[in-house]
Amino acid sequence: MRLLDWIVLLGTLGFIVIYGVWKTRGSKDIEGYLKGDNSMKWWTIGLSIMATQASAITFLSTPGQAYEDGMRFVQFYFGLPIAMVIISVTVIPIFYRLKVYTAYEYLESRFDLKTRSLAAFLFLVQRGLAAGITIYAPAIILSTILGWNLTATNLIIGTLVIVYTVSGGTKAVSVTQKQQMAVMMGGMLVAGFMVVRYLPEDVSFGDAVAVAGKMGKMNVVDFSFDWNDRYNFWSGLTGGLFLSLSYFGTDQSQVARYLGGSSVAESRLGLLFNGLLKIPMQFMILFIGVMVFVFYQFNQPPLFFNEAAKNKVYATEYAPELEALESQHTQLFNQKQEAVKGLVSALRTDDEAAIDAAQAKVQTITDASKEIRTDVKALISKATPDAETKDTDYVFISFVMKYLPAGLVGLLLAVIFSAAMSSTASELNALASTTVVDIYKRSVNQNDNAFHYLKASKIFTAAWGLLAIIFATYASLLDNLIQAVNIIGSIFYGTILGIFLVAFYFKYIKGNAVFMAALVAEAIVLYCHFYTDIAFLWFNVIGCVAVIVFGLIFQVLLNQRKREKQAA
Amino acid sequence: MKESDHTTKDNLDKPPFFKSWRGMYWLVLGNLAFLIILFYIITKLYE
Repeated sequence: MRLLDWIVLLGTLGFIVIYGVWKTRGSKDIEGYLKGDNSMKWWTIGLSIMATQASAITFLSTPGQAYEDGMRFVQFYFGLPIAMVIISVTVIPIFYRLKVYTAYEYLESRFDLKTRSLAAFLFLVQRGLAAGITIYAPAIILSTILGWNLTATNLIIGTLVIVYTVSGGTKAVSVTQKQQMAVMMGGMLVAGFMVVRYLPEDVSFGDAVAVAGKMGKMNVVDFSFDWNDRYNFWSGLTGGLFLSLSYFGTDQSQVARYLGGSSVAESRLGLLFNGLLKIPMQFMILFIGVMVFVFYQFNQPPLFFNEAAKNKVYATEYAPELEALESQHTQLFNQKQEAVKGLVSALRTDDEAAIDAAQAKVQTITDASKEIRTDVKALISKATPDAETKDTDYVFISFVMKYLPAGLVGLLLAVIFSAAMSSTASELNALASTTVVDIYKRSVNQNDNAFHYLKASKIFTAAWGLLAIIFATYASLLDNLIQAVNIIGSIFYGTILGIFLVAFYFKYIKGNAVFMAALVAEAIVLYCHFYTDIAFLWFNVIGCVAVIVFGLIFQVLLNQRKREKQAA
Repeated sequence: MKESDHTTKDNLDKPPFFKSWRGMYWLVLGNLAFLIILFYIITKLYE
């Protein structure tokens, strides 16, 4: 990192934090602190929703995913716009009519206190763990690439977020997210422009896209149906709709974003704004990853993008094997570079036979390169058993560090920090509001003054922030922690969504039935987790369906018993 | 938690550019359809 990069990085982050604190100072009660005095306009809500969802991993992993697997990941978001419309039609008017602070508050008016408290508790467990990972995941990558201390990186991200989130509450989160989105989008556009500019002079943008297409990276839409294929049109539309409904409709970190709107119209427009722009945004990030892929067809890529992990092998007895693989990798790259240039020339001729021949040649060398990468991963795993052998998260950041000029490296690091801070801020704010509104103010201390609850909200925000930093600091001690948190999320998410779906769409089911159904559903999900081999993503569906089915059964039984009692 | 006095007013808020919310919803869904068609054309064009 050069001086200019430090100036850009610290200047950008410092400006956002100071602006956030200054602009939102002086909240006098929790109405202002947790709902921003209901003063948000639709563009603030829309950008805030997008910034909350876009974590640092979005900007680190997504280009790497496109590098490895092409554009098809964009299909994962096809269900999102439909979910935005459904939430705008059904959820927002209900939340506004009841003037709720949190999504779980609604459950008390629809069912009862115990159902509200259960949903709030499940959310706190799940999101409390996730907040630590939101800090840890980018920190581990940045500390590996930049050689920074991991604990210091965790502390910097966490402390910056705590400063403005504690100070200004929801309004500070939304206001800073506008600046953060500007940095994120601006930074990514500049990175996209630079990678295209770095292509060889005789390779045009059109040539680059054509080469990417012939190498299988422009696979944006796939209509074929396959249960085992994670990203196709059908799984994106149905699975994406399911996930988006649960995330945007029941997760307080998102619900808080649109509850701060000045009217139903502003909140709806904010959500629909996200529905219009989310897919183009993901397309752009993936496309930058594809352009990085094309760039590396003309410039030698690292044998393994996490070079710190690779270099550890050189300190072991496996160093000679790694050197041999490096040598093969260089030879293959030289052959591939020529083959890709041949493909570009063939594409310009429009001669199908020549194109097919050139494409086959490139494919043969690509397959050989993939085999070498597989061998390298196996070698790293053998030499350093604790090392992570997935390097796609490092593709984009290693390109940024190696090729972008001074100043732009600082800007792109600001993009990653901004993304980490924006999603963490929403999480802390949501955790604090749920703790205060659904637990503390409702069940612990009901009759205190406005200033007391404001102070409690600030204390809980800071406490959740500290807990997230501590969790992020010790995260590296546990194996497969990210997967563990995803599993914990899936264990609870299905049940929460089930409760909300019953609340919105099954008026027949009442409080006692849904509460018992939620407990049974949670027990079923836990049984599936501990005693079966069912993939954890299915827990979402199982938990949700179980709440609805058992809710209906219990309600029928309860009604029957009531009738019998009345008859007696 | 109180029922809002302004519920009726809020629900009457009109979206920009359209006479009703239905138009806005169709814009979002139409945009989704347009993007899927565009992506399909891109996929086929560069296959």
